[in-house]
Amino acid sequence: MQPILSVKNLTKEFKGFKAVDNVSFEVGEGEIFGLLGPNGAGKTTIIRVIATVLAPTSGTAEILGFDIVKQPEEVRKNIGVLTTDIGVYERFSGRENLRYFGELYGLSGDNLENRINELAKLLDMKDFIDRKSGKYSTGMKQKLAIARSVIHDPKVLIFDEPTSGLDVLASQTVRNFMLNSKESGKCVVFSTHQMRDAEKLCDRVVIIHKGKIIANDKVEVLKSKNNAIDLEDVFMKLVKSSF
Amino acid sequence: MPKNIITIWKKELKDTIRDRRTLVAMILMPMFLMPAMTIGMFKLMDKIMKDQEKQTVKIALSGEDNSPELAEMIKSQEKLEIVSMNKDERKAVKEEEIDAAVVIPEDFQEKIEKQESASIDLIIKSTNTKSANVATILSVIITEFNNQVLQKRFSEQNIDSKILSKVSILPEDVATEKETGGFVLGFLIPLFIVMWSIIGGQYTAIDVSAGEKERKTLESLLLTSVKRRDIVFGKFLAVSSVAFVSVVVAIGSFYAALMYAGGFGPMDATGSGIAGSVAVNFSIEPQAILLLLAVSVFLILMFSAIILSISIFAKSFKEAQNYIGPSYLVVILPVVLVNSIPGFEPTLWYFAIPAVNATLLFKEVLMGTYDFGHIILTMGSLIIYSTIAILLAVKIYSKEGVLFRD
Repeated sequence: MQPILSVKNLTKEFKGFKAVDNVSFEVGEGEIFGLLGPNGAGKTTIIRVIATVLAPTSGTAEILGFDIVKQPEEVRKNIGVLTTDIGVYERFSGRENLRYFGELYGLSGDNLENRINELAKLLDMKDFIDRKSGKYSTGMKQKLAIARSVIHDPKVLIFDEPTSGLDVLASQTVRNFMLNSKESGKCVVFSTHQMRDAEKLCDRVVIIHKGKIIANDKVEVLKSKNNAIDLEDVFMKLVKSSF
Repeated sequence: MPKNIITIWKKELKDTIRDRRTLVAMILMPMFLMPAMTIGMFKLMDKIMKDQEKQTVKIALSGEDNSPELAEMIKSQEKLEIVSMNKDERKAVKEEEIDAAVVIPEDFQEKIEKQESASIDLIIKSTNTKSANVATILSVIITEFNNQVLQKRFSEQNIDSKILSKVSILPEDVATEKETGGFVLGFLIPLFIVMWSIIGGQYTAIDVSAGEKERKTLESLLLTSVKRRDIVFGKFLAVSSVAFVSVVVAIGSFYAALMYAGGFGPMDATGSGIAGSVAVNFSIEPQAILLLLAVSVFLILMFSAIILSISIFAKSFKEAQNYIGPSYLVVILPVVLVNSIPGFEPTLWYFAIPAVNATLLFKEVLMGTYDFGHIILTMGSLIIYSTIAILLAVKIYSKEGVLFRD
C-alpha cells in the first residue's frame, strides 16, 4: 500500500505536558482509518498538527509527500478538515459560506457553483442552503461544515467527531458521505470516541490513550487478538492492561 | 495584490454591513452624534455668553444721601441691581443674600468739596464670583465719577479740561477670518478625526478577530490554504475601510451641521451666534481637504493594525472590548492635551509622535499654514508606524498560542 498520509514519531507538548507522545501511523488510498480514544486522549491535537494549525514539538507528517512543517500551504491544499467545534458565518447563507471558502481555495465561476450544487446534493442540503446559516439546526450546521471542509475536493479527509450531537438521520448522511469518499479513492481519517460508529465504518484503527498509541491494526484482527466481541470490548481490555 | 486578500476583504465588509450593530457604530453614530454635539455645543456657548451679558449683581447701597450724584451713577448702571437692606450689610454679603455692599461715608461730599481725596467702602466676598465682579464694575463708575469731579475742579480754576485727555487703547485684530474660524475648528476637527479613526473601525476589528474566535469560525479559516499574511491583510483592509468611511461621515456631517447652524438654523434674529461666525468665516481649501484625507488614511491604517493586533489576544468580544477601552484613553489623552494647551508651540519632534503629529498638522493646515517639514515628518512617521503595526499583527496571527488560547 502506498501511504497518502504518513505520521512519523509525532510529539506535541503544551508547557511540558505531552498531549501527543511519539505517534506514528499510515493511511492509504480508499481507506477509512479510525482514530479512536476517549475524550482528551489527544485525537484533536494530532489532527490539528496534521492540519498545520499547531506546530509539532518533534516528529512530522507527510501528505502526498508534502511535509507539514516545510510545506504547510501545500498540505492544507490537499486536506479537508472538519473540526469538532464548528462555527459558520451566521450572517451568510449556506451557499455564501461555501462560496467564500471555495474562492479561498482558488475555485471560481461555474466550477465553484457546480461543486457547491454537487455537495448540496450529496449531503442533502438543498432545502436550506440558501437560508441564513444563523437559523440552522445543529445537524444543518454540521452538514454545512462538512461541505465547507471538502469544497476543494481534497485527497485526504480528516473528520473529528463528525456525528457527535447529530440525530439518526443526519448521522446516516454523514456516514454515507464518508463511505462515498472512500469509494472514490479518498483517504479518510475518522476520529471518534463512539466505538460502534468506528466498527461499522473503519478498515483499520489506532487506539489512543493519554497521547500514546496502544493499538494499531485492522478491526477484525484487533477483535480476535484480544478475544473481544466488539471494539468497545477491545478498547476496555487494552486500556486496563495499559496501566 | 493576492486574490485571497481581496476575497477576505470583500467578505469581511459584506459581513460587517449585514451586522446592524456595526452599522450603528460606523455610520449612524457619527452621522447623528457629530451634528448634535456641534449644534448643542455652539448653542450652549451662545447661551452662556448671553446669560453673562444679562446677569445682574445684587448690591446694597447705603449713604445715598451723602452723594446723590455718585449714587445716581451707581443706580443707573444696568448690571447692578440695588436692593434695600434693613439688616447688617456685612452679614448679608457673607450669607450671599446680596453680592456686595457699597457704603458712601458721611464725609464723602465734604471731602470732595474741600478737594481732598475721598473713598467709598466696598464689602465683597471673594469666593462669590458675582461679588468679585462688582469691584470691576464699580471701578468703571468711579473712573467716570473722578473725571466729572476733576472736570469740575479744573473749570472752577479756569483750566481747559482737555488736559484730562489720557492714553487710550485702540485694539486691531490682524488675525484673518480664516485664522479665527480655523482656531475653533482647528480644535474640533483634529479631535474628531483621531476619535473616529479608532472608534469607527473598532467594532469591525473585534468582530473579525476575537468575534471570529468566539463563533468558532477562525479555525476553519486557518485550515484553508490561504497564507496567514493574506488573512491578516484582508481583515486589516476591511477594518481600515470601515474606519475611513466613518471618519468621512463624521467630518462631513459635522461640517454640514456647522453650515446649517450658521446659515439659517437655530440662531436668533439678532445675530448668527458663534457657530454662525465660525461657519461664515471658515472655508477649507481643496488642497487642505486632500492633505487631511491623506494623513487620515495613514492614521487609520496605523490604528486599524493596532486594534486588530490587540483584539486577537482576546477570546471573546467582551474581552477584546476590555483591552481596547484603556488603549483608547492612551491615545486620546495626549491628543486632547496638545490640542488644548493655549499657545502651545510644538517643536519639530512632536511631529514624529503618532496621533499627536496628525492632530498638530491638521490644526496647522486648517489655519492655512503648510509647513513641508511638518507634513513630511508626519506622513513619514505614520507610514513607518503603520508598517510596524501591520507586521506585528501578521506576527501575532502566526502564533499558535494566541489563536488557540483556552
